[in-house]
Amino acid sequence: MRRILLALLYFLGAAVTLAFLALPLLAIFVHVSPGRLVDQLSNPVVTDALIVSLKTTLIAQALILLFGTPTAYLLASRRFPGRAACITLVELPLVLPPAVAGIGLLAAFGRFGLLGSTLGLAGITLPFTQAAVTIAVAFVASPLYIRQAIAAFEAIDPDLVAASRTLGAGPARTFFRIVLPMARGGLAAGEALAFARGLGEFGATIMFAGSLQHVTQTLPLAIYAEFEVNFDVTLAISALLVLISAALLLSLKLTLLWQPSEQTSRSRFALSSWS
Amino acid sequence: MRASNLTAILAALAGLLLSLSTASGAAERSRPQAYTKVRGITVYAAASLTDVFPRIDPGPRYSFAASSTLAAQITQGAPADVFASANTAIPAQLFASGLVQKPVVFTRNRLVLVVPTSNQAGIHSVYDLQKTGVKLVIAAPSVPVGSYTLQVLEKMGLTNVLANVVSREPDVRSVLSKVALGEADAGFVYSTDARTVPSKVKVIKIPDWAKPSVTYAMAVVSSSGHKAAARRFVKEVLGKAGQKKLLAAGFLPIPKARSGR
Repeated sequence: MRRILLALLYFLGAAVTLAFLALPLLAIFVHVSPGRLVDQLSNPVVTDALIVSLKTTLIAQALILLFGTPTAYLLASRRFPGRAACITLVELPLVLPPAVAGIGLLAAFGRFGLLGSTLGLAGITLPFTQAAVTIAVAFVASPLYIRQAIAAFEAIDPDLVAASRTLGAGPARTFFRIVLPMARGGLAAGEALAFARGLGEFGATIMFAGSLQHVTQTLPLAIYAEFEVNFDVTLAISALLVLISAALLLSLKLTLLWQPSEQTSRSRFALSSWS
Repeated sequence: MRASNLTAILAALAGLLLSLSTASGAAERSRPQAYTKVRGITVYAAASLTDVFPRIDPGPRYSFAASSTLAAQITQGAPADVFASANTAIPAQLFASGLVQKPVVFTRNRLVLVVPTSNQAGIHSVYDLQKTGVKLVIAAPSVPVGSYTLQVLEKMGLTNVLANVVSREPDVRSVLSKVALGEADAGFVYSTDARTVPSKVKVIKIPDWAKPSVTYAMAVVSSSGHKAAARRFVKEVLGKAGQKKLLAAGFLPIPKARSGR
C-alpha cells in the first residue's frame, strides 16, 4: 500500500515537473501558425541577429577551447596552493547574475575602466563593438566548459598517463594521443553547454556592448527589442533558439552514444557522468 | 536574571507590535478621501518618471520602463492599474483598442542632448554629432524618446548622424547611464533625466525650432480591479501638489488649453 502511494507521488511529481518545463516551450510554437513563424525568419532583424549571434558565439567558443582546455588540464592534473581558489574563480561567472558580469566588464574594459584607458592608448575601444559581445559571451559561457573539462580530465586514470610516459611518449604526445581522446566526451559536453549558454547571453551583452541591429544585436537582444514592436518576430526568434538548443543537446547525446569501440573501456575508467 | 531579561524583551516586542498594529489600524480608519497615499495599485510609468512619481505618492507599486515596453506588457495582460506614458500616441493606441480608459495629458518635458562631463569628443552643439567617430547612443525607435530623437534629427536635416549611432537602448535611462559612464560620447534624453546626474553629464540644448513637443499622457487600465484607487492616483498627479512636484523635478506645465479636465 505504502509502496503504491510512493510510486504515485513519484509519478505525480514527474508529471508536474515535465508539464511545467514543456508548456512554455510548446506555447511558443502553438501561439502562431508555423507558416507565419517561418515567414518571420526572413525578417532582416532576425537574419542580422542570427549572423551576429553565430559569429560572436563561434569566436567566443574558439577562444574558450583554446584557453580553457589548458587551464582545465592544469587545474585537473596539478595540486598546488591556491588551486581551490582558482577553481572557485573559474566557476564564479556561472553563478553571478549576468548584470553583474556586465558591470564588471564595463569596470574592467570600459573606456574609463581598469584596462580601458590602456586599451584606449592603443586605439582600442571595446564597448559597443562585436568584440565586446564576444567578450561578454566568453565571460559567462567559459565556466560551463572549463568545469566540465576539469571533471573529464580528472576522470582519466593517472596510471594510463604514467604508462604512456614510461613507454617513451613525451608530455605533448601523451596529452594529444591519450588525454584528449579520453576526455573527449566530457569536453564535448562542456562545449555544447557553453555554446548554448553563449547563444542565450543577454544581460552582460546589453550592458557592455549595447544593442544595434547588424552590429551588436544578438538573438536574445532582438527578442527584447522586438517584444514591443512585433510579437510574432519575438516568437520566431524564440522558436529558432529552442530548436538550436534542442539540436545541440540531441547531437551531444548522439555523439556520446555512437562513440567508437575504444569506449568499451568506459566503465573501467569512468569517463564522465555523461551517458 | 537571564530569564527576566528575556521576558522584558519579549514584553517590549509585544508592546511594539501592538502599538504598530493599532497605529496602522488608526491610519486606515482616518484616511481622508483625496490626496493621501494611494495603496494597493500598480502603476506602469515611463522610465523618465522613475524619480518623480514616488515623490508624488510613495503608496503604489511602480514598474518603470520604456512606455512602449509597458504598453506591450499591458497588451499581453499585465496587471497594471494605471499607465503613464512619455507620449500621447501609445496611450491613444491602447485606448483605441479598449485596453485603457480615456487618457489625460498630465505633464510635458524637453528633449536635450547630453554629453559626459569630460566631453572627449568635443561636442558643443547637435551639429557636432556629424563628426566622424562620435559614439552616439539613442533609444530604440519604438520607445517615445527614440522617436522624439528621430524627429529632431529629421527636422534639423541631420539624419546622417544615424551612422554614428553605436547602440539603440531599451529606454531613456539606459541611454543616460551609457553617457554618464562616459562609454558613449553623446545621447538624447529628457532634461529631467539629465538633472538626476548633474555632475556626470553636460546638457546641450536643441534649437527651439527643432524641439519636439514631448507630452505625457496617463490612463486607467480597463482591466484594473482597483479603478477607484487608480482614478484617485491620476487625480493626485493632476492635482496641485502633484503638479508642483513635477515642476520641481523639471517637468513642464500642461498647456492651459488642454488642462480643462
